[in-house]
Amino acid sequence: MSSFGFGLITAAVLAIATVGFTMQFAVTNVLNLAYGSVMINSAYVTYWVNQHGISVWLALFAGVFCGAVVSWCLNRVIYTPFQRRNLAPITVVIVSLGVDLMGTFGLQAIVGGSYVTYKMSQGHEFHFLGMFLSGVQLIIIGICAGVLILIHWLLKYTRLGKAMRATSANRNLARNSGVKTQFIISMTWIISGALCGLAGTVFAMNSGVFEATSNELYIVLLLAAMFLGGPGEPYGAMFGALAIGLSTEISAAYITADYKEVIAFLVLLGMLAFRPYGLFGSEKTL
Amino acid sequence: MSLTSFGFYMSTILVYGAVDALACLGLSIEFGVAGITNFGFIIFQAAGAYTAAILSMPNAATSNGGFQEFVLGWNLPWPLPWIGATLVGGLIALPFVFLVGKRLRGDFAAVGLLVSAVLLNLLVKNYVPFLNGDAGISLVPAPLQNLFNPQSIGYQLAYGGVAIILTVLVYFLLRRITESPYGRSLRAMRDNDVVADSLGKNLRGQRTSILVLGGMIAGLSGAVLVGFISLWAPGAWGYAETIVLFAAIIIGGAGNHKGAILGAILVPLGFEEITRFLPPFGSPSLVPALEWVAIGLLIILFLWFRPNGIIPEKRRILSTIVHRAPVTPDADDDDAESASNIGSVNDFDFRSVLTTAPVVNDHRVMLSTQGLSKSFSGVTVVSGVSISIQQGRLTGMIGPNGAGKSTVMAMLAGTLSPTSGQIFFEGQDVTHVASYKRAQAGLVRTFQLASEFKKLTVLENLVCAIPHQSGDSFTGSLRGRRYWGSEDTSNIERAEEILEGFGLSQYADAYAGGLSGGQRRLVEIMRALLAEPTVLLLDEPMAGVHRNLARKIGNHLVKLCKAGMTVVMVEHELSIMDEFCDPVIVLAEGKVLAEGTMAELRANSEVVEAYLVG
Repeated sequence: MSSFGFGLITAAVLAIATVGFTMQFAVTNVLNLAYGSVMINSAYVTYWVNQHGISVWLALFAGVFCGAVVSWCLNRVIYTPFQRRNLAPITVVIVSLGVDLMGTFGLQAIVGGSYVTYKMSQGHEFHFLGMFLSGVQLIIIGICAGVLILIHWLLKYTRLGKAMRATSANRNLARNSGVKTQFIISMTWIISGALCGLAGTVFAMNSGVFEATSNELYIVLLLAAMFLGGPGEPYGAMFGALAIGLSTEISAAYITADYKEVIAFLVLLGMLAFRPYGLFGSEKTL
Repeated sequence: MSLTSFGFYMSTILVYGAVDALACLGLSIEFGVAGITNFGFIIFQAAGAYTAAILSMPNAATSNGGFQEFVLGWNLPWPLPWIGATLVGGLIALPFVFLVGKRLRGDFAAVGLLVSAVLLNLLVKNYVPFLNGDAGISLVPAPLQNLFNPQSIGYQLAYGGVAIILTVLVYFLLRRITESPYGRSLRAMRDNDVVADSLGKNLRGQRTSILVLGGMIAGLSGAVLVGFISLWAPGAWGYAETIVLFAAIIIGGAGNHKGAILGAILVPLGFEEITRFLPPFGSPSLVPALEWVAIGLLIILFLWFRPNGIIPEKRRILSTIVHRAPVTPDADDDDAESASNIGSVNDFDFRSVLTTAPVVNDHRVMLSTQGLSKSFSGVTVVSGVSISIQQGRLTGMIGPNGAGKSTVMAMLAGTLSPTSGQIFFEGQDVTHVASYKRAQAGLVRTFQLASEFKKLTVLENLVCAIPHQSGDSFTGSLRGRRYWGSEDTSNIERAEEILEGFGLSQYADAYAGGLSGGQRRLVEIMRALLAEPTVLLLDEPMAGVHRNLARKIGNHLVKLCKAGMTVVMVEHELSIMDEFCDPVIVLAEGKVLAEGTMAELRANSEVVEAYLVG
């Protein structure tokens, strides 16, 4: 049962990250493989602020802000100019890998290779239903629930969210129908970037210690969760994150921790091979 | 530096350079020529290195005090381990065919390969009994080490020489493939795979062959490397090493094998050597970190400022007619050009470029559908369409936007598979026959949207559509120009003839991507004709073509039908329908509304209401 608790917290972090990742893909059509490096950079910004004696829960906002600004800049300076050139979609994917290298190793060049940790208390440990969860972990799950409800509200009930969905479904049609698609795309990068920054910070909190390359494999979990729920489907991403988070931790408990990511890999490859549009998606979404 | 140590240094450079060049060549044929973004390329090099290691090493339990665990250990003499490595590199490509097969988008397949590389590295690292886990395999014997002294300068230089010779051989092999009709098909697939498929190219087959070939080359490169450095471990083949190779061929020039070699010298080798001579500074992780930053930056800068690399892919001049000054088409000058430059489709007989035997028109049913339906996520676009297309007739298809015309055409050609219903071609049920096979059987389509192969010249676009080319297969391409050369020349002449007929000869050697919209439509029609169709499906072929020229083409289509070809044409211009098409099928809201001559349709109030006046 304790592995279920670990799975829940892993899933919570992953859900925040995957929803942002999948929104980027849906609305802006960029498979941004640099997402993980923006996460870890944001986690470091939180760390720097935290080092100056500010509570990590306030510093977290700096991380969120960093994620939003960096993502917006990436789109403005790199992805959009490349997309405007009307190149094969794979070019932008290769570019995002280049960005990922620069982001991850640029950070490593600045901060060095040593592990750091936030100054924070883990809070009381709670014990219920056979699970042990620290106060911090409970807060992370709470943040995750709050974020998912907010995203649901954004997509379902706000003009911005509807415009985002319209842009995702058909960008040209949306533009011709009066949606300011460039603005919507910028907003998507800011919102998904904020989620990315938040995910990076809670990822670092949950890991305890981290360094510049700590989430090197995280992109695989992200991709697995995204493809499980269907690429570009925010609700699918929530489900995918839950499934991947739980299954990696439970398999770690019952098989061996060395292979805990393996299940995510296999899920991802299986989805790509047989249902690349996700469990609930349909052919047309590709 | 003494002469001997310089010699050792040189041999290291030679071997590393050759290994990197081999790897880049393998990636160049996959990515640069065939358009397969193999983000897991390093898997294949690793497989080769491990295979060479465990084939050449003695049994793990009995050798070296048994301090490492691995499978096999067959103690084979050189060159068997290298041959084994090459074969395994190719074999290991086969499981990945499901990712690069026809259905999956290129970027998703790339992600799948990237993830596979990470996964395999993780598995090999953690499962020690297979290949000694994270520590890797060491003390791999050097080739022929019982005959020569591997530490001697002569041996080292000879090793470098062999490596270079192998690289040169691979270079010529790849050039042979790339410059053949098969290479042309590969490049067509790279530029637009859906269209290549519609012209009868077997995408899965082509991609499998090239993935296997690239894997073999990568496997060989791994074998050469491990024989020299005598150890191999998961740390040497992280997924990011593939990105280094991508950086190399992007910088050198993807699609040009010379560029791949240049890239190998500049990036993997250059970076290694430069850092060797850097004075130590900062923390030990600083220099490698900065290297990665530089590689990321170089990828982005090159893709932006010089996307074709230092040595770009060269334009293939095929035309046999005396070279006029190459004309650069002006894509913005649509109207002027269609009125003057082109449009001289005069007395040219299209039939003459086709090699199929003349057919007597019997107006039998060539192509028919039974209750054909298609829905996308619950929205029904085509429902219950049953039509029959008669031989030797020019059948028109009209209908308001969204009536399902293009969807019907796509289902007829096999680009889309129907949700329900059946399609019969010459009496055979072809509902589940792959689109490329339908094209090979003579059911050829064109596309509503521009579908030229951008980085093939106009002439290459045309020639690559010609069916049954003996050089258009993997084995055919290996047999060389002597085997397919004369046939290719006559194919080129046929293509030039039809190009002349359309008045586009001056653009023969220009990239098709640079043509104007109207010219591209014409290239597409010519290309479809050269594919030797018995039934030709034209999706708005006249869009953007000058009215006078459109009428001339219409006349020629009628002539082709009289000579036995069957044509189905979707068109919005009713005057064209009036003049050339009989019968005409009207689609509305996914259903067949009416069928008959245009005169009959104009008398049908339902049709007039749905379409003609709307």
